[in-house]
Amino acid sequence: MKLSDNLAVLLFLQTDFSFEQIVQDHQAMVFRTLMRLTGSREHIDDLAQEVFLRLYRALPAFRGEALLTTYLYRITVNVAQDEWKRRRRDDRTHISLSDDTSGWEDRLAHPDRNAEQQIEEREFQQAVEEQLQQLSHMERTILVLYHQEERTYEQIAYALGMPIGTIRTHLHRGRKKLREALQQRQTQERRATCTNH
Amino acid sequence: MHEPLNPEDRSQSPSPFDSEHLDQRIVRALETAPQPQIRADFAARVAGQLPATRPVSLTPRHYGQYATLIGAVVTLAALVILSAHSTRPSFGLLESLLFAQFIALAVWLSVWRYGLR
Repeated sequence: MKLSDNLAVLLFLQTDFSFEQIVQDHQAMVFRTLMRLTGSREHIDDLAQEVFLRLYRALPAFRGEALLTTYLYRITVNVAQDEWKRRRRDDRTHISLSDDTSGWEDRLAHPDRNAEQQIEEREFQQAVEEQLQQLSHMERTILVLYHQEERTYEQIAYALGMPIGTIRTHLHRGRKKLREALQQRQTQERRATCTNH
Repeated sequence: MHEPLNPEDRSQSPSPFDSEHLDQRIVRALETAPQPQIRADFAARVAGQLPATRPVSLTPRHYGQYATLIGAVVTLAALVILSAHSTRPSFGLLESLLFAQFIALAVWLSVWRYGLR
């Protein structure tokens, strides 16, 4: 993976190797990371495009000391940060992932589970998404890179330009906040159920 | 003697099992990646938006190498001029310094050229 990734860049730098191929190889990763980090499908196409254009401009500076994917995560996180800043400026409400009628949670349904379990699982997934958006940008980014993208501490540290210890702290704190928020939510739901019965 | 917990108490203090189960569900939810819908022509569109010329720094300029080369030539010329005008049979301090500088520049250039750095 590392060899082929970096080979592609070297070929690109030395010859007329197609940049389109690099985009094709990494577009799914960039799209899903951006979706999770921004919590929205809005402008996702434009943001992904921006990531690859920045990568193109930055490739001459790429010295191969890290995986191309790690380098790409760094750019993706920067683009997501710019998007957060833009939203804060615009002070606009964003469309949640779950607002989309063809929401990706629908596709999570396991064929063997019964309808009730599927609904419960979908609601839980939605709750996690909502709480994820309540975390700080850094905690959210680290949780997404660690759990969803399965990056190592070293790779995350490189991508975010932070010491590994700080990554661990943010990861632990992010998970704790998420657990507490969901626990609180579950408690409220149980109370509501008890009151209804 | 433990009094049984009433439903309300139980709802307010989740058991360790609940907590562990919740952790597992959270991790599972976090590990479930969204599956974005990407247009089939996305890569082609990005490639179409790239500037016609490659990024400037793709063509290395080698300014440092040129400066080193000029320095070596100047040092060598100075050495030749000094030796032509020297009345002493042996190397003086200035000649020794220039010679050492020339050797250092020559070594640096050859190492750089053959990528042994």
